[in-house]
Amino acid sequence: MSYVDTAAATELSPRARRRRLLRKRFLRRPLAVLGLLVALAFVTMAIFAPALAPYDPTELDVTAILEGPTREHLLGTDELGRDILSRIVYGARASILAGVLATLLAMAIAVPIGVTAGYFRGWLDPIVARVTDVVLAFPFLILAVGLAAILGPSLLNATIALGVGAAPGLIRVARGEALSLREEDYVRAAIANGAGDTSIIGRHVLPNMTNTLIVQATVTIPAAIIGEAVLSFLGLGVQPPTPSWGVMLSAAQPYVNDAPRLALVPGLAIFFCSLSFNLLGDGLRDVLDPRTTR
Amino acid sequence: MPLLQVDDLSVRFDTDDGPVHAVDRLSFTLDESEVLGVVGESGCGKSVSLMALTQLLPDTAKIGGSARIGDLDLLSASSSRVRKIRGRTIAYVFQEPMTSLNPSLRIGRQIEEVLQRHLDLSRRAARSRAVELLELVRIPAPQRRVGEYPHQLSGGMRQRVMIAIALACDPKILVADEPTTALDVTIQAGILDLMRDIRARLGTAIVLITHNLGVVADIADRVLVMYAGRKVEEAPVHDLFAAPQHPYTIGLLGAVPRPGSASTAGRLQEIPGRVPSLRELPQACVFADRCPRADDLTRSEQPLLREVRPGHLVACFHPGGAWSS
Repeated sequence: MSYVDTAAATELSPRARRRRLLRKRFLRRPLAVLGLLVALAFVTMAIFAPALAPYDPTELDVTAILEGPTREHLLGTDELGRDILSRIVYGARASILAGVLATLLAMAIAVPIGVTAGYFRGWLDPIVARVTDVVLAFPFLILAVGLAAILGPSLLNATIALGVGAAPGLIRVARGEALSLREEDYVRAAIANGAGDTSIIGRHVLPNMTNTLIVQATVTIPAAIIGEAVLSFLGLGVQPPTPSWGVMLSAAQPYVNDAPRLALVPGLAIFFCSLSFNLLGDGLRDVLDPRTTR
Repeated sequence: MPLLQVDDLSVRFDTDDGPVHAVDRLSFTLDESEVLGVVGESGCGKSVSLMALTQLLPDTAKIGGSARIGDLDLLSASSSRVRKIRGRTIAYVFQEPMTSLNPSLRIGRQIEEVLQRHLDLSRRAARSRAVELLELVRIPAPQRRVGEYPHQLSGGMRQRVMIAIALACDPKILVADEPTTALDVTIQAGILDLMRDIRARLGTAIVLITHNLGVVADIADRVLVMYAGRKVEEAPVHDLFAAPQHPYTIGLLGAVPRPGSASTAGRLQEIPGRVPSLRELPQACVFADRCPRADDLTRSEQPLLREVRPGHLVACFHPGGAWSS
């Protein structure tokens, strides 16, 4: 660690100093920075899709069907003459939205349940533990497909299905963390000095599980992104003609031999998008751990 | 009237293998600004009896007797009442400074938490009090330290922070459970010095749980020797070291290395045998199996505490210093 800027650092508040330290640690991880940039690019793409996409993603052009890359259509056109680049850009909306919202939903369900069960134990804990075990016996995607089938096909329902499907795994993690954190010496010390359950959960249990939760979230986001693609591929998510990477993959099936580009481009988009969130998550975990001093 | 009066405190753990009597009819008092040393080997009930005072033991513990502060009996008080006592009237410092602080909160925040909880101070007032407290426990540059995380502090510093947290609300009683055991000897001396200083400046009564007789000799006013859940001897510190009465105490003192004295020539004396199981309460002296003075009387009846000198109590049929037979 360098102390070159100690003089400047002492004038900063501890909070600002910590922020600066975190930034420095993060910037020292090239893969994490790369992940952040790529993820940000996808998010920007999703938000500013109308401005960035060269064409309307649903606009048909019968004069240019299954065209290869040209100056007008950088990634070519699909079987209905739609601009693939524009469809990828718009498709990011469904993926990012589903990935982030499903993860938030899963957290919102899992953290309260998991922490309550793990911290208070009692009669609730074994019930929660066994139920999550049973639900976890189903693979995540099968669960999400089943839920989406019950809820009916739409992006919102796919997101809900993915969020609910991801919740049991997170409940298990949150419960396990709460179980081990409640036995920590500092929790005992806090109890001995008069802390109640609310302040122990708020000050000692939740803050110390954020690292784990962040890691879990960044595993869940790409899983949900892939999940959205799968559901849309199966016709349970985004409905055509609305663009989505999964929908595009599905539509590309008959043309895999003649125009592999149609499957390759959305496939790569899914790959890079989920990879970027994974890299970002790994980096954040390393940086946020207060025990890492590098 | 003493600050704290404990009468016939018993703690029993009901385990799957039957009851374990961790503490058996323990009585003691604590005066204001007094330092009481509680010594004994591991598992003799030192920590358990002090934890029982503020109902810190798990539900499996069955507690009997009484522990009074003023008019309030801590043992029969409601749990919400006792929670207000913890940290406010009786505060604790534990053995493990390395793990007793929350790693993800700044130390200032951890001190402020207690202040806000018990004294209802504003954020700002709590912060300035936190700095004062760090100064009180002699942490250099407290203004800067309040913003640091526990991992940035050494073990000795962390224990000082723990003491600052315990002292935050100016408690009447500080229970220090092996506060120096995990620390280097030089750091130990600093912490003991600090506790002495706190007693002198704030008038805090301190219960010091330890197995280290050197620590007791250094700081305690009075000593309580426990063995297998019972109090076997209690005396002012000087009397205990000058004229120990109970053979167990004598054994403990014999097991302490003393540089310069004749005993260094030979082996340290050990106490033969092991601590008895606490599963049943024997109708005999608990120390009988290991005692060189044990006889039929010792094995058939439990010795009661009696006063051999003012303030010096011992539970033994054959007390006394020099024993030859």
